[in-house]
Amino acid sequence: MRELKGSILLLACLNVAHVDARTWRYRSGEGASLQTVINGTASGDTVVVEGTVSEGSIRVDRPLVLLGGAHAVIDGGGEDDALLITADHVTVKGFTIRGSRRSNLDDMSGIKVNACRGTVIANNILDKCFFAIYLSGARDALIEGNTVLGEPGAEEHMANGIHLWKCSNATIRNNRVEYHRDGIYFEFVTDSRITGNTTMHNLRYGLHFMFSHRDAYEDNHFEDNGAGVAVMFSHHIAMRRNRFLANRGASAYGLLLKEINDGEIKDNTFQDNTTGIMVDGCNRIKVHDNVFRLNGWALRLFANAIDCDFRGNTFAGNTFDVSTNGSLIPNTMSGNYWDRYSGYDLDRDGYGDVPHRPLGFFTLLVEMQPYAMVFSRSLFVSLLDRAERLIPSLSPESMKDDRPLMRPPAHLSTVSVHSAEACDGDTTRDPCAPVDACSPGLAACPHLIHLRVPHG
Amino acid sequence: MLKVFKYTLIDLARNRFVLGYALLLLLVAQGLFALEDDPTKALLSLVQVVMALVPLIALVFTVVYMYDTLEFTQLLAVQPIRRSSILGGQLLALALALLLAQLIGLGLPLALHSPSLAAAVLSLSGSALVLVFAVLGALIALKQREKARGVGVALAVWFLFVLVYDAVLMWGMFTLSDYPIEPFVVPLAGLNPIDLARIMVMLQVDLSAMMGYSGAIYKNFFGSAAGTGVAALILLLWVTIPVLFAFRVFQRKDL
Repeated sequence: MRELKGSILLLACLNVAHVDARTWRYRSGEGASLQTVINGTASGDTVVVEGTVSEGSIRVDRPLVLLGGAHAVIDGGGEDDALLITADHVTVKGFTIRGSRRSNLDDMSGIKVNACRGTVIANNILDKCFFAIYLSGARDALIEGNTVLGEPGAEEHMANGIHLWKCSNATIRNNRVEYHRDGIYFEFVTDSRITGNTTMHNLRYGLHFMFSHRDAYEDNHFEDNGAGVAVMFSHHIAMRRNRFLANRGASAYGLLLKEINDGEIKDNTFQDNTTGIMVDGCNRIKVHDNVFRLNGWALRLFANAIDCDFRGNTFAGNTFDVSTNGSLIPNTMSGNYWDRYSGYDLDRDGYGDVPHRPLGFFTLLVEMQPYAMVFSRSLFVSLLDRAERLIPSLSPESMKDDRPLMRPPAHLSTVSVHSAEACDGDTTRDPCAPVDACSPGLAACPHLIHLRVPHG
Repeated sequence: MLKVFKYTLIDLARNRFVLGYALLLLLVAQGLFALEDDPTKALLSLVQVVMALVPLIALVFTVVYMYDTLEFTQLLAVQPIRRSSILGGQLLALALALLLAQLIGLGLPLALHSPSLAAAVLSLSGSALVLVFAVLGALIALKQREKARGVGVALAVWFLFVLVYDAVLMWGMFTLSDYPIEPFVVPLAGLNPIDLARIMVMLQVDLSAMMGYSGAIYKNFFGSAAGTGVAALILLLWVTIPVLFAFRVFQRKDL
């Protein structure tokens, strides 16, 4: 109970009548229903639940700690929310939660939190819930270590995995979300952190921001989601050390930026995506020290992006490094590493002496006529590309890197990052073990985000 | 036919050119894999080399070899051997020798450095290209009496397939871009064996880009089992039709 002392003390100050917090044990099938037990508790009490509770929707309307004991399951039986929290300082730990009603009108969810402070939802398994964890109007919430699984093959009937609406100062940490609509969804959420989560196989976005400001997401792993990660209409978002893998499809992006101001994208890895980053209508974005490997288009930079700064990035093995749709590019590119760069470095300062023009002739052709993709890597196209680099005629003058790096940054070369797929269900491994021994929590380990080995 | 095949093969085994071809490919492939830290990137560079070099060498070598062995062929022709056996034996031996050289020069480093589906597809398409262009070379050699002319035609044919065809197709695509030409781009590109082989490999190595809005069309067609079957059939036709022509020409030819 040590971990509860703090909150109990706090409660004690607020509510003098309940200084002595009690611990209730509830085993399903014995005596009263769980709801009756909860209704009989006082603020700050602890209820330990064992066995499967299937008495419909459970409602927690006072500060409580709900602990899942042996095989603790809360099954909503398809009746509204499985667990509804309407009081401050409620903790829910160690349950398997399932059986929320599927309804597109009422937003039913596995765990719903309505206008509360200090909610803790940790180490639960949410099994095929419509919305899994739904926070609305919550402040200072902590969502940690949950496994959120939708229904494979029926993602179109699922809503978002972890859904936050009008929240602030939330922490979403080390969760795993699969087979939902959006993995993690933020709308009007400010000053929050998303760290070390893994979202895979979601129908739409792995992570979706709308009108959410001053948030940070770091060390997350996004793989094989319908359209990658979308950050829209937000400002001051920090995106660091994330991995965007294998988001493929006609409108799929590793990261889609739409109307973003003053964001920072640093030390991320983009690999095997159809489009690594799509920048549409963004201002003052810093894109620094990222690695783009083996993407179709590493970077699609629309002409409505202004004052964005691209520095220290590594572009290797992409079909197209950069593409754009206009001729005026009011952005800066400098000190990136391009594997296509064929210049020289006479003064040996590590930077090429002639600028690199990342926009190939073929990139422009495909932009004009998508079906020209059929000529990818043909001899004719490589000749045209070479000619365009020597005598630029089509590519915009400002689209160039004046100081291209001769080697990948810091004399490091990047090794392919691994899929998190192989680690399914294996929770025993050390998150910071070498990459071959991957684990679901691997995104939490800062060493694994950039797998770099010394060059040569 | 087997005897002709055997003696031609022995002759080819002694030929420095075949050995040189194997070594050249081996050198290029090993060099690329040694230079790049990333096998996938080396594979990408290798694709371009294979798509240009393999057809050129197969064409020129076959043409030159056919001329060089003309006297032997004449000697055989006066023996009681059917002409189809002579040509059949020679073609089989040529194909086998080039395929073996390619297996050593290309297949071996690929299997060593990057044992993947993409590498297998590259190796297979390379082999198909060798067959197609060896047969075309033989046809050219039979059609032209002069060696210099034959080599010239071979070079022109190579140039046509590797550059001109793509250039014309691309030009047509941009000229007619106002019309719904999409259904014709894939079949037209697929008619050129080099383009076809390249697309099959691209579907493996450029998968991410191929999943984009335009590439998805190629992916849907060539990526399916039916598409692979069609591609194999086209390449087979590219071998069999020139072979039939070659036999026809050789039967009637005044040696």
